[in-house]
Amino acid sequence: MESINSLQGQLKKVSEELSRQRVEFHQTKAYLQSILQNSNDMIFYTDESGVLSSFSRGGEKVLGYTWEEVAGRFIKDLTYDPPAFEKLMADSRDKESPVRTEVNFKHKYGRTVYFVVSLINLTNTKGQNVGTVGICQDITLRKKLQEDLVQIDRLAEIGRTTSGIAHEINNPLAVISEISGWAGTVVSDAEGLRQEDKEELETAVKRIEEQTKRCQNITRQILGFARYSEPAKTSFDINELLKEAITFLNTELKHERIKIVLNFGEGPLSIHSDPKILEQVLVNLVTNAIYAIKEKGSKQGRIELKTTKKGEKAEIMISDDGIGISQEDREKIFSLFYTTKPPGKGTGLGLPICQNIINNLGGDMTFESRVGEGTTFTVSIPIS
Amino acid sequence: MNKESDIKVLLIDDEETLLEYLAKRLLREGFTVKATFSGEEALEIASSENFDVAVVDLKMPGIDGVETQKRLKKIQPFLQCIVLTAHGSIESALESGQKDAFQYLLKPIDYDNLVVTIREAYERKAVLQNAQFRDQVEEIYRSGMGARGIKKAINRLRKIYGID
Repeated sequence: MESINSLQGQLKKVSEELSRQRVEFHQTKAYLQSILQNSNDMIFYTDESGVLSSFSRGGEKVLGYTWEEVAGRFIKDLTYDPPAFEKLMADSRDKESPVRTEVNFKHKYGRTVYFVVSLINLTNTKGQNVGTVGICQDITLRKKLQEDLVQIDRLAEIGRTTSGIAHEINNPLAVISEISGWAGTVVSDAEGLRQEDKEELETAVKRIEEQTKRCQNITRQILGFARYSEPAKTSFDINELLKEAITFLNTELKHERIKIVLNFGEGPLSIHSDPKILEQVLVNLVTNAIYAIKEKGSKQGRIELKTTKKGEKAEIMISDDGIGISQEDREKIFSLFYTTKPPGKGTGLGLPICQNIINNLGGDMTFESRVGEGTTFTVSIPIS
Repeated sequence: MNKESDIKVLLIDDEETLLEYLAKRLLREGFTVKATFSGEEALEIASSENFDVAVVDLKMPGIDGVETQKRLKKIQPFLQCIVLTAHGSIESALESGQKDAFQYLLKPIDYDNLVVTIREAYERKAVLQNAQFRDQVEEIYRSGMGARGIKKAINRLRKIYGID
């Protein structure tokens, strides 16, 4: 009797313990569910062979797959380097502590997603391996930011180096220019030279001067690019500025039979910005437009200059009906030293400098192009 | 109008070959030219010889162009300085905070522009100098000193202004 009593007591204890544990189990499960549903991290669980048996909502979001799409697949197949990941899994099984490292995964649509991955080995009560848990933090954005910073550093370094070089080249260039100038004077004043010889020499000296100017243009552009200074802002009419910019190019426009169409709204479009450097950009863009028309080789060309006010910004559109920009070149036209022009015609500095200037003025520059039909550059800058 | 040979130009640049040819060209143009290869040398010569226009390179070992220009102006207040710079732009030269030069010009030098600028600098110097000379001469007359005193004072002024 007594033993029955004691057995009943024990049973009661066990059942109490059981229900307590059931509650605990439910709570733990709910806890895990809430983590798996809500964490931005990718959390997965695989069996001992590496086949996925759980994949968190965060994982679905960052890799673009639904759980149904990855269920039963090897986790390693979602990475860029499956054998390397397999080895990592094996490492984690041999170790007591989690393995932590960077791994690149493939998004459903192909792009790379960078993760910091922690792999934790799970064992049963007998100490046997039953699977692996992975907690993966998406660091793609941080990685990109880092790359951008490196890129900016590199550009600044290029700027410093090239401006040093440009400065050093300017000095001997000045000497060459003086000597050729002197040679020119001596030849012009020389008596007793045959007329033909004199003309030959004069032409030669002129060529040296032209080439010196060419070098000088390059060094000045480089120095202009490397230097950043506060823009000198004043109020002015952007339409007037455009007209002025064109007068710079009038002779070339006539020569190439290019029609300029001004498409301005009524009255002035007044903005507060730096007219000098803005003019530099506009001249540069129109020069490119002229070049694109020349390249196409048609008898007549057309460049349209359009200005509009768009909210707080003024928009300047420069459209040509020239040769257009090939798909391949489109990605590179803002890169330093990238040029499609033959040697001596382009430095690969024009557009990156323009972009730099426009950015400094708080604006942006975009373009649209169709091969064989033409290109439109759009400069958008704050009105004040 | 003055003859070119009346314009005395002091050239200062450590780039000797450049100065050699620049001096030759300016001499041929008709200017009176003195070439010096450092700020120190220029200051020494300027202490005993009068010039109208100095053409100074900005970057030189020793006393640089800005400092040379400043000290030259102390010795010869009416001297006009043209500063040459191999920097990319005039603005960057101006950013160094020195705006009292008559003109900043870029290197490599646009020769025709330099010649024009030298003439303009000379005109400026002559105008400033004559105006002040006249003012001071008038003041001497007004001061009521005797003919002898006046002559003496004017001679002293002539010397100060480098007028023969």
